[in-house]
Amino acid sequence: MIATVFPLVGRRLLASVLILLIVSALLFFVLHVLPVDPAAMSLPPSATIAEIEAMRREMGLDLPLPRQYLIWLSQVLQGDFGSSIHFRRDVLGLVGSALPATIELALLSMIVATVLGIFGGLMLFHVRGSRMEPIVDFGSILLLSIPEFLWSLFFILIFGVALQWLPFTGRLDPDLRLPQGTGFLLVDALVAGRFDIFWSAMRHMVLPCFALGIAFSPTIMRVLRSSLLDVYQEDYIHLARLRGLSEWRILRRHALKNAILPTLSLMGVQFGFLFGGTLLVEVIFSYPGLGNLMVDAVRNADLPIIQAVGLAYCAVVLVINTVVDSLYLVLNPKLRIR
Amino acid sequence: MTFEIERRTLLQMLGLGVGGGVLGDSFAAFAQATDAVTIGWPSDVPGWDPNLRFTPDAQPIFKLVFDQPLDQNPKLELVPKLVAKWDMAKDGLSLAVELRDDVTFHNGDKMTAEDFRYTFFERLQSPLKLDIKNSWRKVSDIEIHSPTKAVMKFSSPAPTAPQWLAFLGSYVVPKKYMEQVGAEKFGDKPVGTGPYKLIDYQLNSRIVLERNDTYWGPKPKLKRVTFEIIKDPSARVAAIQSGQVDLVINVPVREVARLRLEPTLAGEINPITRVILLQCRNDQGFTDQNIRLAAHHAIDKAALSKAFYAGAAVPLSVPVTPGTPGYLPNFTFAYDPALARTILAKSGYGPDKPAKISFASTNGHFPSDYDIARAIVQMWKKVGIETDLQTLEYSKYFELNRGAKLPDATLYSWDNGTADPEIFAGYLLNPKMPFSAFKDAAIGDKIANLFSMTDYSERIDGYRDLAKFAVEFGATIPLLQSVQTLARKKALAYEKFGNGWVLANTMRWG
Repeated sequence: MIATVFPLVGRRLLASVLILLIVSALLFFVLHVLPVDPAAMSLPPSATIAEIEAMRREMGLDLPLPRQYLIWLSQVLQGDFGSSIHFRRDVLGLVGSALPATIELALLSMIVATVLGIFGGLMLFHVRGSRMEPIVDFGSILLLSIPEFLWSLFFILIFGVALQWLPFTGRLDPDLRLPQGTGFLLVDALVAGRFDIFWSAMRHMVLPCFALGIAFSPTIMRVLRSSLLDVYQEDYIHLARLRGLSEWRILRRHALKNAILPTLSLMGVQFGFLFGGTLLVEVIFSYPGLGNLMVDAVRNADLPIIQAVGLAYCAVVLVINTVVDSLYLVLNPKLRIR
Repeated sequence: MTFEIERRTLLQMLGLGVGGGVLGDSFAAFAQATDAVTIGWPSDVPGWDPNLRFTPDAQPIFKLVFDQPLDQNPKLELVPKLVAKWDMAKDGLSLAVELRDDVTFHNGDKMTAEDFRYTFFERLQSPLKLDIKNSWRKVSDIEIHSPTKAVMKFSSPAPTAPQWLAFLGSYVVPKKYMEQVGAEKFGDKPVGTGPYKLIDYQLNSRIVLERNDTYWGPKPKLKRVTFEIIKDPSARVAAIQSGQVDLVINVPVREVARLRLEPTLAGEINPITRVILLQCRNDQGFTDQNIRLAAHHAIDKAALSKAFYAGAAVPLSVPVTPGTPGYLPNFTFAYDPALARTILAKSGYGPDKPAKISFASTNGHFPSDYDIARAIVQMWKKVGIETDLQTLEYSKYFELNRGAKLPDATLYSWDNGTADPEIFAGYLLNPKMPFSAFKDAAIGDKIANLFSMTDYSERIDGYRDLAKFAVEFGATIPLLQSVQTLARKKALAYEKFGNGWVLANTMRWG
């Protein structure tokens, strides 16, 4: 198995480097042709036009674009993503402090999406051909048509304002302090033995995770359902029935194993979208992650942060897709044989 | 034979997945003790070095941790703070200050004239990119005469230096501590002289402050202040409604009326020192003064205020807010569509042969901006001015202006916490500054003259004349005095400042 997975990871890493290079070039050129002036944004309102021109020269904005890109790329390769125009702080530090929060949020949301997607898929499959089918089908389409930011607002209104069951701002209750560590709050809380922090963090993540998870679950539901429908046409399912196996056992031991593979591929792709979806959800829930940082950066024309966050999004999606593809190989023996 | 999952099993599994005990205990609202307050704030501080960036929204937070040499009272008059007395030389080339001798920083160090000199002169010579370098570029030296007495020396007259000592970024920082730890570490653990100390900071999420019990000035009533950074306006409304915060600012105007209906909440729409205006070019479609003046006469500002600010935004005839020194209470630029048509006709335009101009507005940069612009397009259409409204990102304004690519008119919002007219007409119309779209050398000369005028009354009169001239010349089209919206628990009182500062050290319960 390892002999099959390693070359795939190697090929993926090579492709990832190329993709990151292309994305970095696209990000750089697109951002630099936009009519925004990072020099003016980096100076106070009382700056004169002459001072802004001087700043443009200092920032290298008067150089030809390809040269600006090569300078930036060589700095990035040395781990220097520059300094934020707005915060006047090292960009790598800012992105590094926000990234764990977003990864944590995206992973938990993906778990929610997976659980809901699989349960929903099974339910859709279960009610096929019955009078319930159009109702459940309608429900899944309804879920599919509501975007994550709308779920966020619904949840805030229902569970935050009307019922007042759950908090919807930040990551922790006001009287708790973030533990030192990796930045992954749940992990840090457990390592520090602070179950009060863990509990508070979980409660703060319920609404954003469900907003993201529910929005991304219907696709999983529908793919799983159609995969199950395909699998149930296969001979080995009929054979299993002839052998007298129970329907539950057929589903669990035979059908689901095969039907889950296309669903897994889809989940890899979905994770990319879900990771991007954190942007608005983080702003709505005041969740201090990459999305929140990005929205501010766009508002302030903070190009170094936009570039770094863009690359971080790209890198995370590439890593997740590689992991999912590797998992696909591990779970599907037929691919390993080839 | 069909596949069956027991319905009960499925429901149980779903129930476990969704409920999972997570919603087990009901959410307890953050009931406030009488010595604490939680504030929903729309933006984070750009860092904890108060000299670093000029961010208006961050000033009410900085003012809790740091002190300024001078301060403003709720009417925006200059009042002593760390500087007990000040005296501007007649030639405007020096400012003598006398500091209080009872001020200590949070780390116990005494604040002296050395710290004052370090903040406003020595730090400016460092390679650090500090915004206050810009506001204090005229400082050539600060002479220290005693631990409490110093004289600021300027390379050219600086008549508004006292105003700037109470404005953006002018906070005294501790020389010894700053040199000891460096600017970066200072940002991680800031030390000021203010009424509160920073005890917890989570970027883009939360700021927790605790009362400085050894504060030299009036002790705040509340022991703890928490700022929740809530950038989305709807989420801020939800936060105050759910009781998760005690006060929020910048909520949508229409929500204020709704929140007022809540028995425990108070909603406010307060006019502040911010003007909404049209920045005009003096070329292309706006080369003709008649078109500029007709465009101004055609706008019904009272109707805009009523439609978009519940009537609370005051219609303006000059780019200055009422109650500030440069305001002209007796000058009115009339809303007169008939006159607009007459003026346009002089240049050969009218509803049948409309003058064509370009027009842009931000969308979401300040409350109802794009809606105001759309209404103006309709008002112009009625008199014979045709335009295609474009959306403009605020961050693009400077670049477009630099490249002379701004449209003929741009809807713009301008904040001036000092209330001094220099930072209204003086900045907005100065062709050497990045805001002015109207590049007129004669206006530029007038402003250059006012920038160095040291006699206060003469200077204020000069700015009044400039504002009136600019409006009558069609160099600017002031629209409304902007408002700050605020919602709070009724039991929470605070002091209102004319520039929109919401200061936690003035808050109290009951």
